[in-house]
Amino acid sequence: MEFLNLSLGQFIALFGTVAAFSVALYLLDRNRRKLVVSTLRFWVEPGKAAPVTRRSRIQQPFSLLLQLLGMALLLLAIAQFQFGGRRNLSHDHVLVLDTSAWMGATLPNRPDLTLMDLARANALGWLRAVPAADRVLVVRADALATPATSWELDRGKTARAILESQPGATALNLSQNLQFASRMQHSGGSLPGEIVYDGPGRISLRESNNLALPDMPAFRVLPVDDNVENTGLRSVGARRSDTGGGTWDVIVRVRNYGKRPRSINVSLNFGNAPQGVRSVQLPPGEEREASFEVHTRAAGIVEARLYPNDAFAADNYATLELPELRSLPVVVYSDHSEELRPALASDPRVIADFRRTAQYKPENPQSKPALLILDRFAPPVRPGGNVLWLDPPAVDSPVPVKERVDHPKDLNWTPDQPLTLGLRARDVQIGSASVFDPGPNEIRLASIDKGPIMVANISPDGRNRSVVVGFDPFEGPMRYELATPLLLANVMRWVAPDVFRNVDVGTQSAGAVSMPFTPGAVANQNGVQVLTDSGVNLPYSVHDKAVDFFAGEASRVRVIAGNSERVYSLTLPEMWDVKWSPPASARHGIPAWNDALRRNVDWWPFLAALGAAVLIAEWVAYGRYSPLRMRVMKPKLGRAA
Amino acid sequence: MPNEPLLDREFLERLERLAIHWQRSFAGLVGGHNRSHFAGGGQEFLDHRHFHQGDDLRAVNWRAYMRLDKMFLKMFQIEPRVPVRMLLDTSASMATGFPGSASSDKFTYARQLTAALCYVGLVRLDTIQILPFSSKLREGKTAGGGRHRYRLAAEFLEELEPGGITDFLTIVRQYLNEYPQRGLVIVVSDFLDESGCEKALQYLADYGNELMLIQLWTDQDRTPPWNGEVDLTDAESGGKLRIQVDEEARRKYTEAFDGFSAGIKDVALRNQGKYTGLPTSMPLEDAIFGSMVRARSIA
Repeated sequence: MEFLNLSLGQFIALFGTVAAFSVALYLLDRNRRKLVVSTLRFWVEPGKAAPVTRRSRIQQPFSLLLQLLGMALLLLAIAQFQFGGRRNLSHDHVLVLDTSAWMGATLPNRPDLTLMDLARANALGWLRAVPAADRVLVVRADALATPATSWELDRGKTARAILESQPGATALNLSQNLQFASRMQHSGGSLPGEIVYDGPGRISLRESNNLALPDMPAFRVLPVDDNVENTGLRSVGARRSDTGGGTWDVIVRVRNYGKRPRSINVSLNFGNAPQGVRSVQLPPGEEREASFEVHTRAAGIVEARLYPNDAFAADNYATLELPELRSLPVVVYSDHSEELRPALASDPRVIADFRRTAQYKPENPQSKPALLILDRFAPPVRPGGNVLWLDPPAVDSPVPVKERVDHPKDLNWTPDQPLTLGLRARDVQIGSASVFDPGPNEIRLASIDKGPIMVANISPDGRNRSVVVGFDPFEGPMRYELATPLLLANVMRWVAPDVFRNVDVGTQSAGAVSMPFTPGAVANQNGVQVLTDSGVNLPYSVHDKAVDFFAGEASRVRVIAGNSERVYSLTLPEMWDVKWSPPASARHGIPAWNDALRRNVDWWPFLAALGAAVLIAEWVAYGRYSPLRMRVMKPKLGRAA
Repeated sequence: MPNEPLLDREFLERLERLAIHWQRSFAGLVGGHNRSHFAGGGQEFLDHRHFHQGDDLRAVNWRAYMRLDKMFLKMFQIEPRVPVRMLLDTSASMATGFPGSASSDKFTYARQLTAALCYVGLVRLDTIQILPFSSKLREGKTAGGGRHRYRLAAEFLEELEPGGITDFLTIVRQYLNEYPQRGLVIVVSDFLDESGCEKALQYLADYGNELMLIQLWTDQDRTPPWNGEVDLTDAESGGKLRIQVDEEARRKYTEAFDGFSAGIKDVALRNQGKYTGLPTSMPLEDAIFGSMVRARSIA
C-alpha cells in the first residue's frame, strides 16, 4: 500500500504546521472557560476580596499534549513509518509449496484430510505473517517448478493460488525447485526475503544423492507431519516369455513405505479375468517382486491391485496395456526343406509353410504371405511381394548374373546396412556363387573380388522388398556358420520390422523416464519417437545410451528406438525414497510474534489505531460534549413571578 | 420533554402508604390524621380533670362520681386538620444543572419532590398549599379533598418557570402577613440567598410554625469539577468572578458549602423542625423512601 512516504524533513515540516495550527485553535478554544453557577459565595472567603487570577496560560496541558501526540501518530502512519533503514524495505518471498504425488496421502486419524490440506494451512499461516509491503511468489513444486502466481502484493490472489494447489503425479525435485526459487528471487528487483519450503520433504534416492541446494540466507521450512503407513506398487512390467509366443511374464514390484512390516496381497487381472493372487511380506522400507504369467496373443489391459487399502490410494492400482503378439507367415518353395526348417522353426514368431517347387502356383494377392522364400528355384512368372531368392538359376534370376564363381574369395559385407547387421565374417567358406550385375537402384550387400553376390531391392512404391542371394547359405560348411541364421533373421526383420521389434511394456510412475537402448540399434536421433496415446510427440533427449523424456501427468507413452519399442503405462504416481533433512540454519514453522519476519511488519495500521485511540481518549476526558467533562447548564430565564 | 408528567403512576401508587408527620400540636378543624395534645371532641380517651363550671355535662364521668362522689370530666384527644404549606424556590439558581448528566437540575427535582409530597398529603386528606417564591411569594395553589385533586396541583407545578433572585426575608414577612394560622411549613430550596436565609427561617419558627427544610444541590454546587482559569457568573445576581481553580480551592469550596448546609440544618433542629439535604443525583425514590423517612419527615 502506498502512502505519502514522507522523509524525516517533510514529516517534521508537516507536523510542525499541523501542531502550530492545533495549538492556536486550542488556545482560542480552551483559554478561560465561562461558566454560570448557582452562587459565588463559597468561592470568596468572607471579608476578603475576590482572588486575582494569574496571567493567562494554557489550560489543561495534558489535553494539548494528547492532541499533539495523536496527530503525530496519525502523521507517522500516513508517512509509512518503519524502524530501521533499507533492511525494512519491501522484500520478495518465494513460497515453494510441495505438490508432489505423496501430498495426496490422507492422515491416519483424519481420513478427510490430506497432507496437502496441512500444507495449505501452513502456507496461509505463513502468508498472514508476511508484511503487507512484501511480495510473494508461489511455486508449485513436484518434479518441475511451476509458478502459480507472479510477484504478488495481493494476498487474496496468493491465498487463492495456495488453495487451488493440488497434488500432482510426480515426486519432489527439491534441488530444482529451490534453485528456481533462488533465481526468481534474485531477478525480482526487490530485496530477497525468505524462501519457504512447505511440505514433508520426501524425495527420491536419486535426488538425495545429487542434492544441490542453492545458497539461501533466509530459508524457512514449514514441516508437514506425514507419519503415514503406506504400501504401494512401484512398477508393473511385462515382456514376452522365452517359453512361448503367446505368453507374457508380468513382474509387479511393491514397496513398504511405512515403519512397520506389512503383509499384502497382489492380484492381477487381464481383461477382467483373474490371473492370480500373490501374498507378499514386506519389511519396512523394502521392495519385493511378485511374478505372474499371462497367456494371450491379443491386446488387452492388465490390472494390478494391492489389498488391503491404505492411506495413499493412488499407488494401490495400476494398469498396463499389452500389445498384440504378431507373427510372420512365410511360404518356402524348396526341394531341400530339411535344410531350411531348423532356421525358421527357431523363432516362434515365424509361421513357415514348406512346399515343394513343383507345387508352385502364383499367390492370391489377398492371401499372399509376408515373405516368400524361393530356394534355388525361379517361377515362370516373377512373384510380387517380399521375396527372398536363394541362389536363383542364372537364366531366370531377378538380377542379371554376370558369371558363376567357385570358391569365391575376398568376401566383403557392406557395413551400415540393416541386412548385414552383425555380419562381419570374412572367412566364410562358400562353395560357389553367382556374381550379379546389379542396376543402380539395387543395394549391394555382399561382394567378392569379381563383383556383388548379394543385392537387395525396394520397389518404387516401397511396399515390396526383395533380397537376392547369389549362393546357398544352407549348403556346405556355411550351414554351420553363425552368419547363416543371422542373415536369415536380418532378412525377416528387414521385411517385417514390426513383427520382430522387441516389445517390452511396463507401468511405472509419471515424471522423468529414461529408456536404455542397445548400442547401435539407433543410427541417429531421428530414429527415435516418443508418442502419447493421442499421437502427440513428447520432447526427449538421447543421452548416455538412453532416451530421456518427461511425462507430467498419468498417461501411456510409446517409445520407438530403432528395432525396439517400449510402451510405458505411466499410471502410477512417482513416489519418494528418503526423507530430506533441512539444514540446521533453516528456520522452522510459522513465524512467531518476535520472528525476524514479523519484525518487518508495517507499523502504519498500529500507529493509525493508536493515534485514533489517543484522540478519542482526549475527547472523552476533555472534549466539549464529553460526558466526563462537567459544565454548568445556562439557566432558562423564563417569565419571572 | 414538556408533556412528560412530573411523576408516573407507579411511583404515585407507592407513595400512598406514606403520610406527612409533624411534631407540634396545632389547633385546627377535626379531621386530620396527626394527633394533638389539645383535648377536644375526638374519639380516643385522653385524661380526666376536675369539673368546672360551664363544662359540658355530657362529658362527666358518672361512674367515677358514684364511687368517689366527685365530678370528673373525661377529656378526648382530637386530630385537627392542620394546614400544610409548601414554599417552592423558583429562583434562577435552581435552574443550574448538568445537561445530559445523571443529576437533573434542581428546579425539576424540586417540582417532582413537591408533587410527591402534595400527593402524600392529599391521600391523607390534608390540605396542601403550594407557594412558589423567588424574591417574593407568587400566586399559590391550594389542593385538598383527596387524591383526585392531585392532577390540578401537578399541572400547576408543570407550568412554573424558574427566574428571579432569592430573598427569604421578604417572602417570610409576606408569608406571615398572609397566612397567620400556624402550621407545617415545608421549604424546598437551595437556600442560596446572598443576604442569608437563617434569620428569615428563624422568623418562621418563632411565629409557631414547624419547619421542614429540604435543601437541594447539584453535584457541581457542592464539588465543582473544573480546573484552571474560569470566569464564573452568578445565575441570580449576574455577578462575575474570574478565578484560578485548583485542588485546594475546590476543597475549600466544598468545606464552605458543607458549613452552609450545617447552618440550615441547625436552624431546623433548633426549632424542633426537620432537615433533609438531597443531591439531585440521588433518585427521587431514594430521596423519599430513604432520606426523608429516616428524617421522620414522612412515614
